[in-house]
Amino acid sequence: MITRRKILKSLGATALAVPALSMPLVARAQGAAGRVVVVGGGFGGATAAKYIKRRNPDIAVTLVEANSRFYTCPFSNLYLGGLRDFESIGHSYDELTGDYGVELVTGWAQDVDGDAHTLTLASGDVLEYDKLVLSPGIDIRWGAIEGYDEAAAELVPHAWKAGPQTRLLREQLEAMEDGGTFILSAPDNPFRCPPGPYERVSLIANYFKTNKPNSKIIILDAKDNFSKQGLFQAGWEALYGDMIEWVSLSNDGRVVRVDAEAREVETEFGVIHKADVLNVVPPQKAGAIADAAGVTNEGGWAPVDPVTFESRLVPDIHVIGDASVAAPMPKSGFSANAQGKVAAAAIVAAFAGEEPSEPSWANTCYSLIGPEYGISVANVYKVVDGEVVVADGGGVSPADADAEFRRREAVYAEGWYDAIANDTWGTVA
Amino acid sequence: MTETNTNHTFNGISRRAFLAMTGGALALASFPALALSDAWRRVDEINAVVGDADPIAQGVNIELPLVTENGANVPLKVGIGRPMAEGEHVTAIHIYAPRNPFPEIATFRFVDGFDVPEIETRIRLNESQTVFVVAELNSGAVLMGERDVRVTVSGCLTQADTYAADSLFETRVRVAESVANGTPLEVLTLINHPQETGLREDAQGNPVPKRLIERLEARYNGEVAFVAEFNRSISSNPYLRFFITPEESGALDLVWTEDTGASAQFNADITVG
Ligand SMILES: Cc1cc2nc3c(=O)[nH]c(=O)nc-3n(C[C@H](O)[C@H](O)[C@H](O)COP(=O)(O)OP(=O)(O)OC[C@H]3O[C@@H](n4cnc5c(N)ncnc54)[C@H](O)[C@@H]3O)c2cc1C
Repeated sequence: MITRRKILKSLGATALAVPALSMPLVARAQGAAGRVVVVGGGFGGATAAKYIKRRNPDIAVTLVEANSRFYTCPFSNLYLGGLRDFESIGHSYDELTGDYGVELVTGWAQDVDGDAHTLTLASGDVLEYDKLVLSPGIDIRWGAIEGYDEAAAELVPHAWKAGPQTRLLREQLEAMEDGGTFILSAPDNPFRCPPGPYERVSLIANYFKTNKPNSKIIILDAKDNFSKQGLFQAGWEALYGDMIEWVSLSNDGRVVRVDAEAREVETEFGVIHKADVLNVVPPQKAGAIADAAGVTNEGGWAPVDPVTFESRLVPDIHVIGDASVAAPMPKSGFSANAQGKVAAAAIVAAFAGEEPSEPSWANTCYSLIGPEYGISVANVYKVVDGEVVVADGGGVSPADADAEFRRREAVYAEGWYDAIANDTWGTVA
Repeated sequence: MTETNTNHTFNGISRRAFLAMTGGALALASFPALALSDAWRRVDEINAVVGDADPIAQGVNIELPLVTENGANVPLKVGIGRPMAEGEHVTAIHIYAPRNPFPEIATFRFVDGFDVPEIETRIRLNESQTVFVVAELNSGAVLMGERDVRVTVSGCLTQADTYAADSLFETRVRVAESVANGTPLEVLTLINHPQETGLREDAQGNPVPKRLIERLEARYNGEVAFVAEFNRSISSNPYLRFFITPEESGALDLVWTEDTGASAQFNADITVG
């Protein structure tokens, strides 16, 4: 591996010495400056592909993505609450292919050979890479909760990847009679989008309030505390009275068994809860391709060097987004986007024979408790001794803010969504 | 907060997992002797238990997250899987977190005949560190295992006090009413309690006095079958899963004792068939 790096470095140096314009076009198109394959066109992958091309168009970038259109989890809770239509959270890859010359392969990445530097697709096609970026997001740990497998998810959606699952949950909410009970089972950390379950019940409560006011919401939680808890609970009380009940881990909130047919769950100490609409947000792990590439640890996530997001286990594979271990950075679209830029810069630098620069990031998580009631938490992160740590700066929305402040944060949340969608896919919803 | 692949399911599954863990040859295969670092020698509390014994780095299975985003509540599972010689059994399991203000987390005492050396609980970790587990055998042998845990604070996580003052000492227990003879009986317990360390200040800056559940004792037909000794680093709402193996039908009594002397009880009749 060391030899290989050295070769790339000297190659990079040569490429630099030759003025870019004098290079034959063919060679540029074939990626004279290096070949990168990116798996996953979500928040992390699309950003990495774009920013590699922005920094050095001579690098050949191939994006492998299973779907031709990407639907975001961010704002999918607004869709569930009836506040947005589904297409408004969909994005195409036109900017990446059209403006940036990224080659798009619509297909499923099946396997990686880290020694040979090849990626094999389900179609059987093989792609060679100098650097591989994996941003596959999460996979569900099927069976981690007894009775919750893929078949069960067709009856009891998780809706933790935006798409058919999200639509199924919305259909069930629409079909539910007034006076029904919606139950959400929330997992232990780490999982995708720590405030996500609580935003979801908020916007479903908003839908119930206007359409099915006698309904009830129960969150069964495998944790004793959650992201922005105080702000959420105050907001729930202010907007929805006692419609939402939160059952913590210590109050027997952890679901251990799901009966999908009966829409029932059983908690740790044996209490059975019956729902009219049941949403299980199950325990998660890195997307399957990370396992196949051998970059995951026994916890199911990919440890990385936070300066480059290169795997600590397999060289020349960078893992970004939800699949990576970047704690204390949360598994958020915002983090994935920021990490995509860090990995892009590191890869461009490596091809040029340069040292990566020390990154620092910010993450802001907006959550909506109602359409006009937003809250946020912001944090700044830096790298100390090879680990990500929280730096000074950032903060949470004040507990005693007035209605106007909450309304403005809801507006900022919309602005955040438009900005990140534009930065990642070049699309404005 | 976890990153382990712990399968927290019940009854059938966990028992099977347990049996697989202690099942002779299999256990040997899955617990190769591992090199033990010397770090434990610097911890007085561990030395006190180890004494002159030469700890064996085998058979101690520790499940802890690699990274935790909430040091106040870290799930821990310990099982002793070393095949025992005839008549040999585990008498105690001790847990230590040397970088906590008080390294001793808990001790679990097993009684010959009832002993099934596996427990699951939730602990407090002040910072990133190595957690040590020491198992004493009646033969005098000492087994030891260690596990590194990284403690971070999630940027999206805000802490809140979760213990409910209006239901102090309320207990939750899950235990089967009947069990086949010779099969371990799983006992899952939780008691609502702040497990105050005495090291914390309240919102006004006044020290909050120490107040701990110190002991959980399980008696079967009046005989002590299992004892847990809890210290400051057991999470609030002390949670414990353990097993006993009753040989005849009888009464299970659980008694929790606070350092004030106050106590809480739970009783159940168990049919052994
Ligand atoms: C309900 C909900 C609300 C959320 N709200 C917010 C929010 O408000 N703000 C925020 O910042 N974050 C939010 N998130 C979190 C955010 O969605 C994720 O953190 C983010 O999507 C992670 O980006 P990623 O690149 O790691 O994965 P993803 O964005 O999921 O992208 C992964 C892509 O990889 C593709 N893929 C995976 N495996 C393969 C393969 N083998 N072959 C080909 N393609 C593959 C998938 O099709 C997918 O398109 C929310 C999440 C949920 C569930």
